[in-house]
Amino acid sequence: MNINIFLFEFKHFARNKAKIFSYLFFVLLCILSIYNGYDLMNTQLETISEIKAKKDLEINKILGWHDSGEVGPEDKPWVNITDPYWSIRYTPTYIFKEPSPLFPLGIGQAEQFGFYKKITRWSSTYDTDMVEEISNYERLINGNIDFSFLIIFLLPILLIILTYNINGMEKDLRFDKLIFIQNNKVNFWLLNRLLFYLILLIISINFLIVSVGFVNGFDNNIDTVLKLILISNLYIFCFALIFFFINKYSNTSSSAAFKMISIWLMFCVVIPGTVHQYASFKYPVNYMTDFLDINRKQTYEVFKLENFDLYDILMQIQPELSETQKAQDTVIDNQLVRRSISTIINQMNIGATFEIEMQNENKNEMIKSSYIINPVSYVQNLWNSCIFTDYYAYKDYRSKIQESILSRNQLIVLEMWRENKVNKEKYKDYLKILN
Amino acid sequence: MINIFYNEWLGFLRNKLFLFFISFFVILLIAVTYFGVIQNNKQIEAQNDAHDHIRAQWDEMSPSNPHSAAHFGTYAFKPNSILNNLDEGVNAVTGVVLRLEGHKQNEVAFSEASQSLTISQFGKFKVSLLFQFIIPLFLIFLAFNIYTTEITSGRLKLLLVQGNSLRKIVFAKILSLLSLSTILLSITILLQLIFNFNKIELDQFVRLNIFFWSYFIYYFIIIAYTVLLSIIFKKNTSSLSMTIITWLLWTIFLPKTIGNFTETITPLTTRIELSENMKEDRSQGIDGHNPFDTRKKDLEKEVLDKYQVDSLSQLPVNFAGILMQADEEYGNSVWDKHYGDLYGKLETQKRHYQLSGIINPFASLQSLSMAAAGTDLFHHLDFLNASELYRRYFIKTLNDEYAFGGSKTGERGWKATNDFFRSIKDFNYSEKKLFFILHKYIVDIICLFGWSFVLLFLIYYHSRKGFL
Repeated sequence: MNINIFLFEFKHFARNKAKIFSYLFFVLLCILSIYNGYDLMNTQLETISEIKAKKDLEINKILGWHDSGEVGPEDKPWVNITDPYWSIRYTPTYIFKEPSPLFPLGIGQAEQFGFYKKITRWSSTYDTDMVEEISNYERLINGNIDFSFLIIFLLPILLIILTYNINGMEKDLRFDKLIFIQNNKVNFWLLNRLLFYLILLIISINFLIVSVGFVNGFDNNIDTVLKLILISNLYIFCFALIFFFINKYSNTSSSAAFKMISIWLMFCVVIPGTVHQYASFKYPVNYMTDFLDINRKQTYEVFKLENFDLYDILMQIQPELSETQKAQDTVIDNQLVRRSISTIINQMNIGATFEIEMQNENKNEMIKSSYIINPVSYVQNLWNSCIFTDYYAYKDYRSKIQESILSRNQLIVLEMWRENKVNKEKYKDYLKILN
Repeated sequence: MINIFYNEWLGFLRNKLFLFFISFFVILLIAVTYFGVIQNNKQIEAQNDAHDHIRAQWDEMSPSNPHSAAHFGTYAFKPNSILNNLDEGVNAVTGVVLRLEGHKQNEVAFSEASQSLTISQFGKFKVSLLFQFIIPLFLIFLAFNIYTTEITSGRLKLLLVQGNSLRKIVFAKILSLLSLSTILLSITILLQLIFNFNKIELDQFVRLNIFFWSYFIYYFIIIAYTVLLSIIFKKNTSSLSMTIITWLLWTIFLPKTIGNFTETITPLTTRIELSENMKEDRSQGIDGHNPFDTRKKDLEKEVLDKYQVDSLSQLPVNFAGILMQADEEYGNSVWDKHYGDLYGKLETQKRHYQLSGIINPFASLQSLSMAAAGTDLFHHLDFLNASELYRRYFIKTLNDEYAFGGSKTGERGWKATNDFFRSIKDFNYSEKKLFFILHKYIVDIICLFGWSFVLLFLIYYHSRKGFL
């Protein structure tokens, strides 16, 4: 590294209003994006805490019924919360996808999915209430001012604005030969000038990432913060390397700018767009008719089954039921069997959602296999995965939901077939199991 | 002027890099359009299959209770417009399946964006991506030195000496670049006409025209703006930096920030709030499934009075069907109130965003491009409204059959025939004709023309002789 070249470049940068403006504008945008991220994170956290407060109110109401000897709401006299069937139906369960502490550094796919879900025994992971929070669709396609977007898509453009005339300007003004005479090692001179901007950008973004890390509990997030620093630094270094060769071999600054912009367009717009188009071509939007069939036609067919058929299916799904007294009775309890149907439907839903997840996974595998020619999407998904805002973070969330639905159905069926009676303590046990 | 125009073209054709890029764009355009049409047709086919599959299940329904059939419900699948391959608009982020059933209105679900990892932040490689991001940059690089090189090479003085006015020279150069973009646009329109020959009707023709002219004006703005900066700065580097910064502001920064801003000034309710508020309002009406509901008693009295009988068992109709429909109609009014408000807010946000065309012509272009392709918010809301209207028809027909189709009150096991179920009309959504909603895009059109006139004036002013 040559300090004189560094100082020269600093002077050049400080005197160039367009470059100073672009740099400050970018830093300002980064701060704005982090603020936006915090705003969205706080909105999600507020919604979650409001739901939790409502849930606590519901729970307290039921506990109050137990205290006062009531068995249900006045206008629904058929409800009896001492019966496990009604008691579990009146046990509110919500599953949340809480934003990670570093959420302000990358909203990722968070706006394409819901982040809370009320669980009932009939729920599934592809219910219509799993859709994203209400937003303006046209705003969604333009996206948010997201920090990861700025790093992945705008930072290379800032680097272009800052570096496109390195070596090119000398050639434009035709004193490039003078530079070559004064500097034996032209590559070294070029590299040092480029390094100045690279170091400037790396320090700036690392500072912002570390700041967010500090504000949101550095100790707990140190691994992720370091990963994000590594990803961003390597990413911008790769662009800088390409730009170095463009600067070296271009004849004019405008030619260098044109080539740099073309590289950016190719990697950030054209290749991801082409892969996206190909992925849609190979895996068109899934209308999920298999899932819809289970949700509707096959559900109705299950309801039409005879009770002894349903009994057999139930024993297969939940073999422990066969040990209960009710299962050993010679006469089938029709109401009990009918009330257990949700378990059968849930089992069918699990099968259908598995198929959907598999289809999605095939598409994801195709996307992953394109990373070798589509590195920008790789970096983007890697970044999102660090902040838990990628597809897989939401897939895990769906898995949690599925587990909750399953445990709810297993509990309700088992408790009903065991003919348990519910008191306050038992209800508290249900709360522990279902929350 | 014609001579200068002709000379510009000669210059273009002598430039190997230009020839490479123009050939590249033409090939790319053909490939993008071709694969776009194929992909779109495949999607339309998948949508039709899903639609037919669901309808076949309905048509095969064995004799059933109409109210059970209302719970069984049906599905509306969001169709892709023929011109979706031009600009996908909001279709990647909106759901595609809407369940239509009794008692409740569902959300449209299963968006494409939620079915995989992120791929492209700028959408699929459709014609719009090429026209909105790549061609403008190409034009900027062609235009930024079109004036300054004439000065530095000394050709400008030569042209002036020959009797050409500076204005004529500048406008001839602008026109030569505009003619280039016109060729690319014309190729696109031609390809659309060829690939979709059997499907193009008058509406699609109007849409293609809107598409063509919107981009044509936008390209004029891009070229004129770049040339204007070139005239003002008189330096290649400064004008190029400034134009690229402007391009970034227009296409990336402003759409995002103004999109956020419109949501801030017209905030939307959260899903949980909306659902709680609707539940609250709904609880004020009749609950068709609650026999202890007091409002049900009032309706019962009203029906008994109407038929001049003393008890429900004496009614010649099935009170359960009437009750369900009353419940449904109350639910509809609740939906109209809350979703009417929500859709109103979304339209307000869109209108605010359209106003940003005053400072960002790209916003106007984007809006008109999606409108022409039938993939913007207005078209999506139209689909949702049409689906809801169909749901109301569907449920009312079932409830009416339950009430007046021959059953009596208390006959829960009464079943409607398969012929009845087959007689219910299918949901066939056809895209709204653009002509009828064109007034919603007046702001965009005015903004694009406004920018053009302002730039025309500024170039006219700056290209006077004294300025040289």
